[in-house]
Amino acid sequence: MATVEVRDLRKRYHNFLALDGVSLKAESGQLVTLLGPSGCGKSTTLRCLAGFLEPNGGEITVAGESILSTPANRRGFGVVFQNYALFPHMTVAENIGYGLKLQKVSKSELTSRVNEVMDLVRLDGLSDRLPREISGGQQQRVALARALVLKPKLLLLDEPLANLDARLRDEVRWLIRDLQQQSGITAFYVTHDQSEAMAMSDMVAVMKAGRVAQFATPREIYQKPTERYVADFTGEANFLSCTDVTPQGDGRYAIAVAGTTLELGGVPGIASGAPAELLLRPEALELTMPESGTFRGTVTKSAFLGAALHCEITLPDDSILKLSAEPNTQVTTGDAVGIAIDRSHAWLMPKVAP
Amino acid sequence: MSDATSAFSHQRPVNIAFGILIILLYVFLMAPLVMIVGASFTGGLLIDFPPQGLSLKWYFEFFERQDLVDGLLMSLRIGAITAVVTMTVAMMAALAGQAISGRLSGWFQLGMTLPLLVPELLTAVGLLFFLYKIELGKTVVGLQMGHILMSFPYAYVSIAAAMRQVPASLEEASASLGATGWQTFRLVILPLVMPGLAMGGIFAFINSFDLYTISLLLKPLGGNTLPLALFDFLTYEFKPTAAAAATLSILLSILGVAIVQKLVGLQRAF
Repeated sequence: MATVEVRDLRKRYHNFLALDGVSLKAESGQLVTLLGPSGCGKSTTLRCLAGFLEPNGGEITVAGESILSTPANRRGFGVVFQNYALFPHMTVAENIGYGLKLQKVSKSELTSRVNEVMDLVRLDGLSDRLPREISGGQQQRVALARALVLKPKLLLLDEPLANLDARLRDEVRWLIRDLQQQSGITAFYVTHDQSEAMAMSDMVAVMKAGRVAQFATPREIYQKPTERYVADFTGEANFLSCTDVTPQGDGRYAIAVAGTTLELGGVPGIASGAPAELLLRPEALELTMPESGTFRGTVTKSAFLGAALHCEITLPDDSILKLSAEPNTQVTTGDAVGIAIDRSHAWLMPKVAP
Repeated sequence: MSDATSAFSHQRPVNIAFGILIILLYVFLMAPLVMIVGASFTGGLLIDFPPQGLSLKWYFEFFERQDLVDGLLMSLRIGAITAVVTMTVAMMAALAGQAISGRLSGWFQLGMTLPLLVPELLTAVGLLFFLYKIELGKTVVGLQMGHILMSFPYAYVSIAAAMRQVPASLEEASASLGATGWQTFRLVILPLVMPGLAMGGIFAFINSFDLYTISLLLKPLGGNTLPLALFDFLTYEFKPTAAAAATLSILLSILGVAIVQKLVGLQRAF
């Protein structure tokens, strides 16, 4: 298996800059997710990796060697497509055996390798069916098997779960992760679903308008995002504007926010007095008596959701905090409440243009 | 709600009217065929409908007329070559059309169907001058070229339509599994466009078999296609032999459709 490195990748279509200097690195055996909304360049990056697109600049190396001049059919990467891209005139077994047949593998070896991988993705008994005769989940497993049977150096997955319903999505997601970890294949995974990205990845690259906004572990992306865009894209978030930012060294800051002062961690390198905002995930907040919290506010909305009570609290400076409280908490609209914050889950970020 | 009820109450008369329209359409399409097929079996001496008695003598008469049989053989040969050549070239053109993107693509499509848009007579005159320039005027090769030119758009339209049904991701998937361009074409694209390709070939054949104007101008000395031979024949004799020849042509078309049905199924061809 191999380390894959993407350096300063650029791609331009007519007058649209699809990739504006994308840099990433997947260590051997890692699953790296490219996360972002449509049009952010995540699929373009993947298609450059696969060799379907030629970038206008930058470099892609596998185990230290450039692959840019190698055509797609000699890269030896497995690709799994959103629409499965199964060959409609071939049976399940013929689809999976396609690559092996091209390699002129002997008939007995072909059969045994196809059977082995069909076993792996739990497709037993379907070998003679045509793609249109099996379900979407099964089709995606065939696509996965077709790529894996060639033991690719790198597995590229382009929103493989997007066309599946919620229940199947979970099942296939774990299957992909299990197979990837068992075989130790390095993989790139494109998705716009943050929970998928969180659950499956070793590393996540959150992409924004053709660039990588942040490249880090799922935990860091969620807890220590570098900017509001990243925090917003990875889950529910509250943002409060801060003033009087004073660096305390070592990535810690003293700030004034919504009438109080706090000391907490944040993105390194925010200058003294620079505009900044405080990230508070809903789970870092807790309702308390009005006199004991960090903040004081008024309940403006509350909705019982079964497992939790969803509340919106308006602070004196009119900013709003959303949080989930214990479902049996007795609050109604108009109540004065206090909010305690778990300071280890609060995070200061510089304010940047969206 | 009231709209839905009124639509429902009107559904029956609308259905009946629609049915009648369809029947009229079929009568309009089928009447000439029925007339000519009927007339070919006449026992009388003139093309006549309903036929006077029943007889196969005009079919025997047809096969005894050397000029008509020569015309039939020439039309068959030219039609077959036209079908093979147009299928090959139109397949290549459709692949090229797929690769061209953006504004150029529309112009390319238009260019490929140009022989349909220009009057056949003008194409024929232009081609005649051109063929004389390259010293192929009034030769079988020249006539063959004219037929290929006039039949190409039919094959192209059919094949290009089939190509558009093949998602680009299939080619990418094939490449990612190690296939060269040629392997992808042979193993993935060709089997998937086969119905359209076969249909295109048969369209080209039938069109070539039917061409009159261009054949008239380009025909080699002493050679006639079946439509030309039939027209010459009808100029002097108004015998049901012509109806027999027409019926044979119809049979040939039915045979073509049957082959498509057998090979790929008509549903997939259209």
